[in-house]
Amino acid sequence: MVFGKTIKEIITLAGISVTLAMVVNYISPKGIALVGQWDTSKGVITASPTGPEEWQPEEINRVARAKEIFDKGNVLFVDARSPDNYEDGHISGAESLPVGQFDEQIESFLNRHSPDTPIVTYCSGRTCEDSHNLARFLSDVGFTHVSVFIDGFPGWEAQGFPIE
Amino acid sequence: MSNPRQSIFNNSWIELAARWILGLTFIYASLHKILAPADFAKIIYGYGLFPEIFINLIAVIIPFLELVTGFALIIGLYPRSAAITINGLLLAFIVALTTNLIRGHEFDCGCFSAGQSGYSSSPKVTIARDIIYFMLGLHVILFNGVRKISIKRTSP
Repeated sequence: MVFGKTIKEIITLAGISVTLAMVVNYISPKGIALVGQWDTSKGVITASPTGPEEWQPEEINRVARAKEIFDKGNVLFVDARSPDNYEDGHISGAESLPVGQFDEQIESFLNRHSPDTPIVTYCSGRTCEDSHNLARFLSDVGFTHVSVFIDGFPGWEAQGFPIE
Repeated sequence: MSNPRQSIFNNSWIELAARWILGLTFIYASLHKILAPADFAKIIYGYGLFPEIFINLIAVIIPFLELVTGFALIIGLYPRSAAITINGLLLAFIVALTTNLIRGHEFDCGCFSAGQSGYSSSPKVTIARDIIYFMLGLHVILFNGVRKISIKRTSP
């Protein structure tokens, strides 16, 4: 009998938890979809937060395409990773603008680059959303030509393309 | 009464301490996961143990299971069942961490959010901590005296 009672109580606690979880996830602005995108072969993984449709940057989803853009020149690659990662190695000519320090650094970045500068952001590849967030922030402060190189530094480095 | 095992599981002060430590810990642990479910989902993905289709559901539900059972422990609502649920969660955490430790699986997405959310302690430390919590849970489950400051006072 004790066993049955315990099971009932556990089901009650679990029921309250699941109900609360679904309600809060539904109304919270931080709520996520019930099924995420976790397949790196399909692109950058994300829990795909629900909510109003956000601006989506254009994605460069092939390393070779990124190299073509790089070779054409006249495009600024911007590294969204931490300063440590940037120091350890980055795409040649890329500037560091760590997404976690955006507010502190954006003013001097704006002083150096006009809003119509074509920008390609990148981070640590398809398991990392920082470059997307950086692209959104840059778009918010007025940059009009921002795209994201989704394979990021690991993808670039693996092809033996220029780093420094 | 001289049996030490008997007296430990009769001591309602130890029971209260175990229940509140466990309850507060689980409530605290649930909060930043509830505030950032997308980050927690990525951590679950990083374990590499769960089917993709369930990752978001796990990320949404587990924190509330922690919150509700933690709260139940504090106020003493179904304390034994809450502790059994918590020990079930702890067992799952311990198995997941140990599995990845043994197979040498370490996931670092190289992201800002994950690095800042306090998950940086080593798996060995986390496993040791979870085992201690598990033992606190066992005390609440096996306690056979009268619980202090609890809606449900007698066991079971």
